[in-house]
Amino acid sequence: MFCTNCGNQVSEGANFCVGCGSPVKHATPAMPVNPPAQPLVTPSIAPVISAVLQAVFDPDSQPFTPTFGQPYVQPPLPAPSPNFKPPPAPVEDAPSGGTSSKCSWCGAAFDGDPQSCPKCGAILHAHNVVTRSGWGQLPGRKDMAKLQFGNSVCQIEGAYVPVADMKLAPEDSVYFAHHVLLWKDPQIQITTMSLKGGWKRLFAGMPLIMTQAQGPGHIAFSKDDPGELIALPLQPGESVDVREHLFLAANTQVAYDWFNPNVWFSTRSGDDTETHYPIGMFMDRFSAGDTPGLLLLHAGGNVFVRELGPGQTILIKPSALIFKDPLVQMHLHFERPSSMFSGWGNWGNRYLWLRLFGPGRVAVQSVFEPIEGEARNISNFSYATEQRW
Amino acid sequence: MTVSHLPAAEPLERIQCQWCQAMNPKTALSCSACGAPLDIRNLVSESGWREAPRIRDMTEIHFSSSTCQVEGEIVPVAEINLGAGDSIFFEHHVMLWKDEHVPLTLMQLSGGLKRAFAGMPFLISVATGPGRIAFSRDATGELVVLPLHPGMELDVREHAFLLSSHQISYSFVRVKGLTNILFGGQGMYMDRFITTSTPGLLILHGYGNVFERRLGAGESIMVEPGAFLYKDSSVNMDVEFQKLGAGFFGGSTMSMAKLTGPGRVGIQSMYVHHKTE
Repeated sequence: MFCTNCGNQVSEGANFCVGCGSPVKHATPAMPVNPPAQPLVTPSIAPVISAVLQAVFDPDSQPFTPTFGQPYVQPPLPAPSPNFKPPPAPVEDAPSGGTSSKCSWCGAAFDGDPQSCPKCGAILHAHNVVTRSGWGQLPGRKDMAKLQFGNSVCQIEGAYVPVADMKLAPEDSVYFAHHVLLWKDPQIQITTMSLKGGWKRLFAGMPLIMTQAQGPGHIAFSKDDPGELIALPLQPGESVDVREHLFLAANTQVAYDWFNPNVWFSTRSGDDTETHYPIGMFMDRFSAGDTPGLLLLHAGGNVFVRELGPGQTILIKPSALIFKDPLVQMHLHFERPSSMFSGWGNWGNRYLWLRLFGPGRVAVQSVFEPIEGEARNISNFSYATEQRW
Repeated sequence: MTVSHLPAAEPLERIQCQWCQAMNPKTALSCSACGAPLDIRNLVSESGWREAPRIRDMTEIHFSSSTCQVEGEIVPVAEINLGAGDSIFFEHHVMLWKDEHVPLTLMQLSGGLKRAFAGMPFLISVATGPGRIAFSRDATGELVVLPLHPGMELDVREHAFLLSSHQISYSFVRVKGLTNILFGGQGMYMDRFITTSTPGLLILHGYGNVFERRLGAGESIMVEPGAFLYKDSSVNMDVEFQKLGAGFFGGSTMSMAKLTGPGRVGIQSMYVHHKTE
């Protein structure tokens, strides 16, 4: 192998060139953007499994060629469900006269040359960190970064369980969910926001009631587990769909609504049928009206975002979903590993995925919980695709 | 007398990784076998515990024809780009996302069906390349990357292993009497990983921070069962019961794991116990 920069010979597996120190580009097997619709390999199962087992248990064996019982054929993408309402296209910021740069995370345009984005706090001039497979990390944000919304300022403090510390201007107000208020000034007025049908939604035994805080004064929010605080400035007309209970706070310019994502399955044991909602019964939708808004979410662990092209798919653990663009559609996907014991196929050893397809952004968190009911006898489910290997 | 001139030698300097002993070129910043930063010296406490290396965000690790990228520092994700013909195995509840076309197979295990984890029978799945698949766990911690050289045997606390490459063989044993004090269980399983002639890669997830110590022959340490993470199979583990309280009130007993060298012992600082049903 040779360095692409200086031509020096580099040893296999080295990350940097010994001669000039520049990073070595490894030839990573190129992945097709869309999986092939052709069968991967020959359809015979017994030699495959013995090969797998041999390779797993006998390290002396040669690498085997994977052959599986079922050829891989990409399941079709369903037609939009009746609940699917594409949102209005966001209004692009009209470029103003002295605009010099744009934030790569939130797209905010601003004048001058600040260190970090005034809308979302992202450090500017730092290159985006993207994994080899195309997931981007949240842009770095300096501790104590300040975000502006309306005439108010939100400062984000701490890196382990970050706190959103807001200084509200007299005319500004924010709303927030239960269990996230950390502290507030005594003079901050708190009222409940009336939500149509909010009593139907329960969180930790309490009906979902959004609480509103009116400036002037200071108020701070945080959640109860280590993770990342996501600042999503919304352009006028822009919307985002968020899995429930990840919402921290938003300013009152952001409209709040929810919808049924129609992702569920029911399990039966005896005469009992139970319905499970792997991404929740409801999904929150936040939209900015005529003015830009600020939406704050909190996710457990680390956060990764990727942009799916039209028709491009990805399988994610349902409980790892944070948010998606409204144009991204999703449904359940069952995946059954192949096994040499036919009986095992019924042992609840299927994997339950959320299959998403573009166009649009998708964000996942690295902390996720097991899905309730996943291993039980599934009797009925919302639209789903299946892959048997 | 003539001065013999040695030919100018090629720069043969190598840095040995202090974590996994792999040799790396002098200019490498992180070990290509385990991802440990090479420019940070070993952090060892006065009592002899060594901190597991904190893997830098986006570090790449190479094994067989595959790579693993470690992403994030709160709950790190191991993103695997499997080369053709390579496979890895793992248990339930660790897959974060995957490409649709990466095939999954079940590994044959004796007794696995008697062991259930979070409602699912205990089964090990195998993913085969080419393709991408990513793994993470459910709480804050560190990834412990252990390249296993031929002839190594490692015992790991149940449900602590995130994934392993297919060159490593897997089995498990039940340890009775452990987990009494914190978790009130009847015992716990220990996974055993053995290499034979080909090196392999084993990645564990430890909760909180992870520390390792090498015990000399006959040297012992008492470890809270919730903190035990892994040990070389040459390290002997006994369960010791210690009576708490005295006099008329009887008191209760606590169980501790007594580990006796020679070999490595790894512990985690946060006790998260996923009990197998």
